[in-house]
Order: sequence, then C-alpha cells, then structure tokens
Amino acid sequence: MEFYHKPDEKTLQALKDIANKLRIHSIKETCASNSGHPTSCCSAAELMSVLFFHTMRYKANDPRNPSNDRFILSKGHAAPILYAAWAEAGFIKESELLNLRKIDSDLEGHPTPKLAFVDVATGSLGQGLGAACGMAYTGKYFDKASYRVYCMMGDGECSEGSVWEAMAFASYYKLDNLVAILDVNRLGQSEAAPLQHNMDTYKERCKAFGFNTYVVDGHDVEELCKALWHAEQTKGKPTAIVAKTFKGKGLKGIEDQDNWHGKPMPKDRAEELINDLLSQIQSPNKPLHPQLPNEDVALADLTPIRLLTAPEYKIGDKMSTRKAYGVALKKMGDASPRVVAMDGDTKNSTFSDIFKKAHPDRFIECFIAEQNMVSVAIGCATRDRTVSFASAFAAFFARAYDHIRMAAISQSNVNLVGSHCGVSIGEDGPSQMALEDLAMFRAIPTCTVFYPSDGVSTERAVELAANTKGICFIRTSRPDTAVIYDAGEKFEVGKAKVVRQSDKDQVTIIGAGVTLHEALAAHDQLAKEGVNIRVIDPFTIKPLDASTIVASARATGGKVITVEDHYKDGGLGEAVLSALGEEPGIVVHRLAVSCVPRSGKPQELLDMFGISAKSIVAAVRRTFAN
Amino acid sequence: MFKKHIIFQILYIIVGPLCPASLKRFVFYKVPPQLQGSYLSMEDYHKPDQQTVQALRNIANRLRINSIKATTAVGNGHPTSCCSVAEIMSVLFFHTMKYRPDDHKNPNNDRFILSKGHAAPVLYSVWVEIGFLKESELMSMCQVDSTLEGHPTPKQQFVDVATGSLGQGLGVACGMAYTAKYFDKSSYHVYCLLGDGEMSEGAVWEAMAFASYYQLDNLLAILDINRLGQSDPAPLQHHVEKYQRRCEAFGWHAIIVDGHSVEELCKAMSQPRHQPTAIIAKTIKGKGIPVAEDKMGWHGKVLSKDMAESVMRDIQSRILNSNKRMYPASPIEDAPPVSLRNVRMPSAPNYKPGEKIATCKAYGMAVAKLGRYNERVVAMDVDTKNFTCSEIFKNEHPNRFIECYSAEQNMVSVATGCAARERNIVFASGLATFFTRAYDQLRMAAISDSNINLCGSHCGLSDGEDGPAHMGLEDMAIFRAIPTATIFYPSDAVSTEKAVELAANTKGVCYVRTTRPETAIIYNSNEDFHVGQAKVVCQSKEDQVTVIGAGMTLHEALAAAEQLKKERIHIRVIDPFTIKPLDAKTIIDHVRSTRGRVITVEDHYYEGGLGEAVCSAIVNEPGFTFQRLAVAHVPRSGKMSDLFKIYGIDRDSIAQLVRKMLSSSANAK
Repeated sequence: MEFYHKPDEKTLQALKDIANKLRIHSIKETCASNSGHPTSCCSAAELMSVLFFHTMRYKANDPRNPSNDRFILSKGHAAPILYAAWAEAGFIKESELLNLRKIDSDLEGHPTPKLAFVDVATGSLGQGLGAACGMAYTGKYFDKASYRVYCMMGDGECSEGSVWEAMAFASYYKLDNLVAILDVNRLGQSEAAPLQHNMDTYKERCKAFGFNTYVVDGHDVEELCKALWHAEQTKGKPTAIVAKTFKGKGLKGIEDQDNWHGKPMPKDRAEELINDLLSQIQSPNKPLHPQLPNEDVALADLTPIRLLTAPEYKIGDKMSTRKAYGVALKKMGDASPRVVAMDGDTKNSTFSDIFKKAHPDRFIECFIAEQNMVSVAIGCATRDRTVSFASAFAAFFARAYDHIRMAAISQSNVNLVGSHCGVSIGEDGPSQMALEDLAMFRAIPTCTVFYPSDGVSTERAVELAANTKGICFIRTSRPDTAVIYDAGEKFEVGKAKVVRQSDKDQVTIIGAGVTLHEALAAHDQLAKEGVNIRVIDPFTIKPLDASTIVASARATGGKVITVEDHYKDGGLGEAVLSALGEEPGIVVHRLAVSCVPRSGKPQELLDMFGISAKSIVAAVRRTFAN
Repeated sequence: MFKKHIIFQILYIIVGPLCPASLKRFVFYKVPPQLQGSYLSMEDYHKPDQQTVQALRNIANRLRINSIKATTAVGNGHPTSCCSVAEIMSVLFFHTMKYRPDDHKNPNNDRFILSKGHAAPVLYSVWVEIGFLKESELMSMCQVDSTLEGHPTPKQQFVDVATGSLGQGLGVACGMAYTAKYFDKSSYHVYCLLGDGEMSEGAVWEAMAFASYYQLDNLLAILDINRLGQSDPAPLQHHVEKYQRRCEAFGWHAIIVDGHSVEELCKAMSQPRHQPTAIIAKTIKGKGIPVAEDKMGWHGKVLSKDMAESVMRDIQSRILNSNKRMYPASPIEDAPPVSLRNVRMPSAPNYKPGEKIATCKAYGMAVAKLGRYNERVVAMDVDTKNFTCSEIFKNEHPNRFIECYSAEQNMVSVATGCAARERNIVFASGLATFFTRAYDQLRMAAISDSNINLCGSHCGLSDGEDGPAHMGLEDMAIFRAIPTATIFYPSDAVSTEKAVELAANTKGVCYVRTTRPETAIIYNSNEDFHVGQAKVVCQSKEDQVTVIGAGMTLHEALAAAEQLKKERIHIRVIDPFTIKPLDAKTIIDHVRSTRGRVITVEDHYYEGGLGEAVCSAIVNEPGFTFQRLAVAHVPRSGKMSDLFKIYGIDRDSIAQLVRKMLSSSANAK
C-alpha cells in the first residue's frame, strides 16, 4: 500500500492559480458570447484544475489517444470551463475561447465531439455517468488497460433516474477505475436543488448504491488531490467525490446567490471580477503539465467486420427474426473480438443470449435500465474501442429516446436492436408492443433503420450495422416467419428487394417484417383469382430505396399500398410518402395501426387492426373499385 | 373536535386490543389515520386474530390457484410472478386498504397500482375473490374479446393507469399521493406494488426522491423481492438490507418483512407513517409451485395442464376451513367533489395585434389565468419554470405548483397520477426536447387513457446558442406517434391562450409546442380557435403557392410573403394551429386554389413533423406539387437567425423555393 504524499506548496498554489485562471477564461468566454453559464463553471474550477493538472494522465496534444484517462463533463452547461482547461493544457488557443457559441466555432454551447477532447456530447443532464460506465467497463474488462474514467456531474442532475441506474451499474460491475465527481453547488436553474447542501444525504445515497464515497470541500485543492489519490487506491468499488461547492465561487456578490444560473457577468462588472481573481493568482506563469498515461492500449482495429460464413438458412425454414439476430450476433462475435453486446434483462426474448453463451466475456447484462444500457453502449463504442450492440424490446427504447437523440449529437456508432415490435406480439398487450419505434428512429438524423423480414436478411442487417457509421436500429419480430431469401443474396443499406413481380402487376405492396409475409400471403391468394401484385421489401426504412419504389409504382399504374405493424404516424407509410414526394399520378393507401391496440392472438390482432393478408386483399380490391 | 379525538383515542387504547382489526377500523373510522398514527406506537400493534390470519392465508392461496389456472387456461402470462405476491395482495386488499369494492372510481378509495404489471392475473384474481369478476372471465383473459389484458389497462374500472412498462407505477403513485395530501387534503392512501427487477429503473429512484422531498406519508410502496428477473437474478438478489439502505438513503422509512408471512405484512402495514414507507418483502418467485420456486427459467412461463392440476391440488390442501369472510374496510368520505368539465377562460386574450411576446411566455400567462377560474388547474415543471414561464403560474398559485426538479420521467408520471380519476387538470412543462426522456411514460399515458397536458418550450433551432442538446427537433414526430395525442403549435400569444384553454378540455394527451423568441401577435383577441381547424393568415386572389408554417416558421413565411409581394408574387400562408389532428380540408382547398403548389416549412427534422403530416393529408390529391423545408442534420450552436439560414428554414429560403417552384412549373408549360 502506497502512502499519500501531500503535493508541495508550490504545486498546490499552482493548482489554485489555474482554478482562478479557469474562472477568468469562463467569464471572458461567456461575456464574449453574451450567453452561457459562468457561475456553473466557477463552482467547478478547483475540481477541474486538480483533475486536469494533477490527477488525470493524458497527452494534452493527443486528446483521443486510447491510453488517455477519459473525462466526461456530464454537466455540459459548464462547457466554457472545459474549453478553458484545454486552453490551459495547450490544446486550444486562448484566443479561440472568445469564439464560444459562435456559428463558425466548434466551441458550442454544450460540448460535442466536433472537439477532439469530447467523446460524447452532453447537455441533456444525467447522461454522462452512464457513458462513463461504458468507458470504464471497456477499460477494465475489454481493454484491460490502466486508463481511468472521470465524470463531473452537477447536483441538479442527480435528480435524474439515469444517474442512479449508472450508480447501480458501476458498483455491480466493481468499476474501480471510475470516479464520479459531484459538484454540489446547491443551486439549480430555477431554484435550489432539492438536497441543497445536505452533504450527508448525498453521501448516504452514493454509499447505498455501492460507491466508495468522500465528502470534500470542493474549493480546497489539497483535499481534492487527496480524495482523488485515495480513489485510485480503492479496489473493487467505484468512487464518488461529493464536493461541497458554491455556485459562482470567487465572484463577489454573485457567489451562492439565486438567479445567476445561465447568466453571463454584466459587462460593467466583468472587469472588476476578473481583476479580483487576478489578484489572487500568485505565480501566473508556473506551468503545470498533466502526467502522461501508461501506453498499454493498442490502437483500435478499424478493418470492416465480415461474417465468416454465409447465413445457414434454407428458403422456407421458419424462424423469428429476433432469433436470427441472436445467431447473427454470435457469428459477428466469432468474426471479431471487438463485437460486444448488452441487454436489459430480456436476453432470452431478444435472443442476445445466443451471443452471451458463445462470448460470455463480451456480454454486459444491464438489467432493467434501458437508459443506462444505451449510455453504456455509447460509452463502449467511443474511440472505436468496440462495436456495440444493445438489445431490448423495441417499445422500451422509448425509455431511452433522449439518450438516443444525444447519441446522434455524439456521432456515436452504436447499434440498437428492438425485438417484439408491433401488435404481432399478441397477448402481452399494448404496453409491450412497439408501435412508435420507427417514428422515433427515423427522426434521428444519423440513424439507419433496418427492418429485416427473414433470417437471411436479419443476418446481413447485423453485418451491415456493424460497419455502418451513425446509429443503427434493427427492428425484429416475435413470430416465426419463413426464410424468403437465398443464403447468397446480397443486401445493401438503402436497397429494397422486389420479392414478387410479374409483367401484369396491378398494385405495389410494400410491407416489412410480419406484414411482408402477410403481403406474400395476399399475393398468393390474389394470384388464384388472377390478380397479380408486386411485393416490395424495403429492407432499410431509412434510408428508403426511393428509386425502386418509384419504379415499381410506375410499373403498377401508380397504385401503391403500404402495410406496417406500426402506428400510422412516422413509420413505413410516411417514409414511402416522403420518398414518392413529387411523383405525380401515384395513389398510396396506407394500412397501419390507428389506435391503441389490445391483447389477443397475433393473427387476430393483425386482422383486427387491418394489417393482415385479409386486409391487404380487401385494400387491393378497393383500389380497383375506385 | 379535538376532545372527540381524545375520547376516541382512549377508547381505542382500551378496547383496541380486544377487537379484530376490521372491526376496529369500523369503530374508529372517524379518527383520521394520520392522528391514529401519532398516538399508536409499535407496542400498541397487536396481531390480527388467528381466524383472520388463516382467512388471509386462504385468500392468498386462492389467488395462487386462480393465477395458475388462468395462465394455464390461456397459455400465457407470468404465474410465478403472481405467486410471490399472493400474501401481499391478500393483506392489502382484505386487511389494509379501505375502499368500496362496488365503486371503483370512488374518490375516497385508497389507490392501488400494480407497478409490476406482468402480475396482472393476481390482480384479476383479487377481483374475482371480491366478487366483481367472474372466474369464467378470468379464464379467458388476454383473449381478443376480453377486457382483461396481458398487463392491466383502464379497460378495467379498477385500474387507474396502465402498467407493464416497468418502473412507472411509483411515479404515478406519487402524483396520486401528492393530490391526496395537498390538493384533496383527504385521508385516502396510495399503495404501489413493485417488483425487484424494476428497481433497476432510474424512474423508480426519481419517484423515491420526490416522495420523500414532499413528505408523502400517505404513500406505501411494497417491494416484492423475489430475487429473480426475466433472464437472470435481479442484481441485488435477496440482499434485502441493501434495498433497505437505498430506500432509507432516499428518505423513506423501510421495513424488511417475510413477504409470505401474513402476520408480518399486517404488522408492517399497520405501522404509523410519518414519511413514505417501503415494505421490503423477501419473497420466493413461484412460491407454492414446487418445481418453480426460486428457480431460474420460469419467468413468464405457464404450467402445463397436468402440472397445474397437481400444483393446484397441493395448494388447495393448504386452504384450511375458515368461515371467516373478509371484507375491505370502507374509506373515510372526505375527498371533495371535483368538476373538471367545461373549464373556460372568463375573458378573451388581452393582447393587441402587433404586440411582441414569446409563445412560451403566453403559455405561462394562459395557465395562470385558467388557474384563476378553476382551482383544480395544477401545474408542474422540471426546474425550467423560468424558461417555460410556468413560474408565472407558480407565482400566482404557489399551492398548486409542483416543482419536480430535473426528473422528466417522474414529472410525466406525477402528472398522470394527478390527473387520474379526474382529480385535476394538469399542465406539465419542460424544454420540448426533454420530453424525449419521458417518451415511454407518454406512450404508457396513452394506453392509460390519461388526460394530461404537456408544454414543451424552446423548440427547434430557435434555441440558438445553447446548441443541439437543447433543441427540440423530434418532438412532433414522437407526439404524432401517440394515438391519443392532440398537438397544438400556436404561433402567437392569442392562439397560445386558446390552445391552453382547448387543451384543458380535450381528452387524451395534449401537447403544446412553444417557442422562445418573441413574435408578433397576428390574431384578434376574439378569434375563434378549434382543434383541427387551420387559419389562413394571408391570402389574395392572385396567390400562386400555399406555404404552411407554424411557430417561428409561420412568421418567416409571412416575412417571405412580404418580400415576394415586391416581386408581385403572392403566396397564401396557412397556420395549421394543431398539427394533430391536421385540418386536411382547409389545406387541400387552399392548395387547390394555388394550383396545387404547396410548401411546408418547419423548425423540426424532416421526419415525422409538419411536413409529413401535410404529406399524409394531401397524399392522393391529383396534381399537387409539394416541397418541404425542414432541418436535415444535427444542428449546432449559433444565433437563431444564422441557424435558420444555414438549415434553410428562413424567409429567404422560403422565397427562393417559391420562385423555384414557379419557374419550374412555367418551364413545364
């Protein structure tokens, strides 16, 4: 056991000086932009100084180095002080700081990965710690490396449940390379945070959630050095540093006062406040340099990951796409050690347990905490350390929609897989049915939405997702359906398949998942009556293969029917409408679920909500009646 | 009054030990429970008599039998999750809770929420035991023609809110308990049964923090710690002391009990409560089914017919003869009558045309005004009340405002709880984009038939320098995909006030989208607004293109109209007012009269917003030419005006597109 050595007085003074310099930068930045949160920066000045210039090990000129310690500013509104720290560390120019929040500067109002030292975007509160958990899990169990992960949180965001999901996760997995720093500055946005300066309650909560916890004076650099040193010595537990601080610390007349959240210093007072801070700086030119990391992490291998063997299904085989997902993921795991998976205690339903059985060391059980699962998946995927797949019932990604939205801003390459979509799950009823997931994921700008309809296309969707940038969502279904593609069939993002066609097709039907199979059944039934229809499998809903759809629509006299196991808003139907856009002379009928559904047998529900083969046949007939 | 209570208390202490609990309740029903609590200590507690205990055990076993029977009959459901809570349900419904079993929606009844909704069969079995449901109905649950669904929904009178998405019950219970304590000021209590798996959901801890902060001593949570989740043991397994420590750290009184001991449950539930109380019940999943007890691999699995029969025989043999029939105690009738019908603003909006005011501010003023004339209008926020302007309501009606802090999931649940049984008209506000945090709760609110009103401010790029993390650019997409939702997108203060009034009287989930920058008043104070009725804001006979915008983009469209007028190009400008339902008729009529040319412009992503809504409405109209302006990429920080330009939703972009449309149609000719 090592013993703690108090840093020498010079170092301590230098850390204090840096803290005040960070304050000055924060004031100047926010004055220049005339917006931003200087008081939220000032409470964290000593914390940032000690972390960046005493505790953390990183290469200041190479912020994305895989061996660097990680830092996440969960309280993203304190962005100016993060930028200031990197200016002090020498990575960004001091003059650049004054471009904060400007339209042509990457120093945005809240941190985004446009900056090399930002791994995940923050600004939606309570999300940093979950991402930090993913990074710490990766460091400890996948990279088996010595880098550590530091996450700075505000007290306001401790009201977010996702923080406690992450706390429970961190202690369950013994993430002793993780330190959560709570900047308890008492004041929220519109009033005091609920626990104010009740440090004992924070301490009890952190301890109850399994954290090694220290309550410290957040403005005392020596106390911070000591606590962070102890954190590093602690094995088997994550550490929480609960720092009592004052919002606007160091700003006379503003410190610990209400109504200063998100307000820059008034122009006429800024100079006086800055001079006051300057007068406390004793050795303005004593530079401190961060310690360098142990370089024990290899650069990420970015070669594409390909299935080692083609899918092993025969046309006509019956299986659910959710099961095909599990099989595919396991095969991707065989192909690359970078593939990791996680689930929210539904692995026997999503079939990610097939992956777990084959690659137990690369599976993370996240329990019933979908928000945290998505954050962990994002954290695992940062710096290209892993290719992560997170699965759950599609409906429950609604729980994590804010995290998914932020993942897009974070430029994350996370892959999400939602099973049990639509009414076709049957008896479990509407609470378990995803009927808005396509709408959700379509409205994510960086998202690719796969909706495979059989085992072969599911396997290819998983392979494509692993190699596609941005967020990928794969929608899988519960019922067993027939394999319709040959094992050698090639699939591409944005490329639809025409599954049935003839020269005499009179209507184009677009379905996906179970409704594609309903469309095929309708096709067979109508064929007996001498009516031919064309059936299209879009494969990806976003991007949608507009040219194939338009060409088919043209070939079938402009008649199109979409059928989807989803609500009418924002799903396949509207995607098709958007794709057809300006095309004149096309008539589209949409079959979709139009109200909150109910329990029942899958087939009965497909009928009841008008998306079964029967409904398609009727819709085709109606098209002719018109 | 005080003397009367003292007399009752003395009587209680003397006679109390001699009479059974149910009778005691009857005799002492006039003593408000909170007062009973202050006099009773643990020593005063005495066991229910043996007959009562046996009767409660018998009920528990009958609940097991019916849960097994029903799930086996329909081949679906979670019998093992029912069996772990059999004693808890028996004691709650036949010993602890006070309610009128024949009048489910009676406002005086104690409330019960089955947060672990997958144990629905045991809840249904309770109502069979009470006699409200027939056994035959239970045996056809989950079928397409049954109102007993796989997870509880308000199709059943005894269900206030749908459950089945885990971790949401306690937040709703908080809303009900807050209503009881602070709005109704009544003595009904709220009971919420949670599973251990769902304790991993952060939403539970948001609710825990809320309940202790507001000292909801009328709230009791029962944690069914049956150790096993769906695919693995729950993370804390049977470490009940860890659960206790977490609950205590979150400000709750936490009692550990054997969840299969009727006596321990009765005792724990009778303890006086001075703060929210958690009963941490250590239970066995599948209790009573020998092959499944405490075993993995039995979650959501039904027993085969043969196995079920032998298990049921076995359980039946444990039901000892007892003539004692258990009835729930009647509630204290002290909840005030409430009417939420026809809540109207007493006067027209007080704005002058041309005056500049942000719609978010108009929202705050409108809710405050509505609150003046109906005392059941309540509001809540997530520490953004100075942004959403709900603080205007708070300043005027401090007792009807709930600060929910940064916990959006819980705020939506609390709102749902406050609105249950039509106790309150609820307005919950936050930044538009952070409703994404509560989308699962909103989805469930629709299944719950909830009538809640939500207001999202700071939508779109108009949030400017704060950057993309704070910009709501997907909120219309997600609210449109809620079947029971009405989406108001008012473009000035007058229409905002009307939107608030309409929302208060509209069933389902209402969403009001407001904007941060100040915009001019464009409507007269006496303008009439209806859900699903668009306004034509600018028109002439020479109009060549119809432009549809809302909020900021309506004002951009009006500016474009002015600009184009100088070039003798006339455009018609439509304000849809509600995005869902959308006024397809008005839109189609006007687009026709502008030769089928239509442009939508929205401060939202392309997908799922105004553009797609219009697309859906006009899809099969022949001869229409439709173009859309919306945000195509993750945006960035900057001045709003710059951002509108960069992402192409400003007046210049509109004008340019109008010109392009006209020149290409001229070329086509």
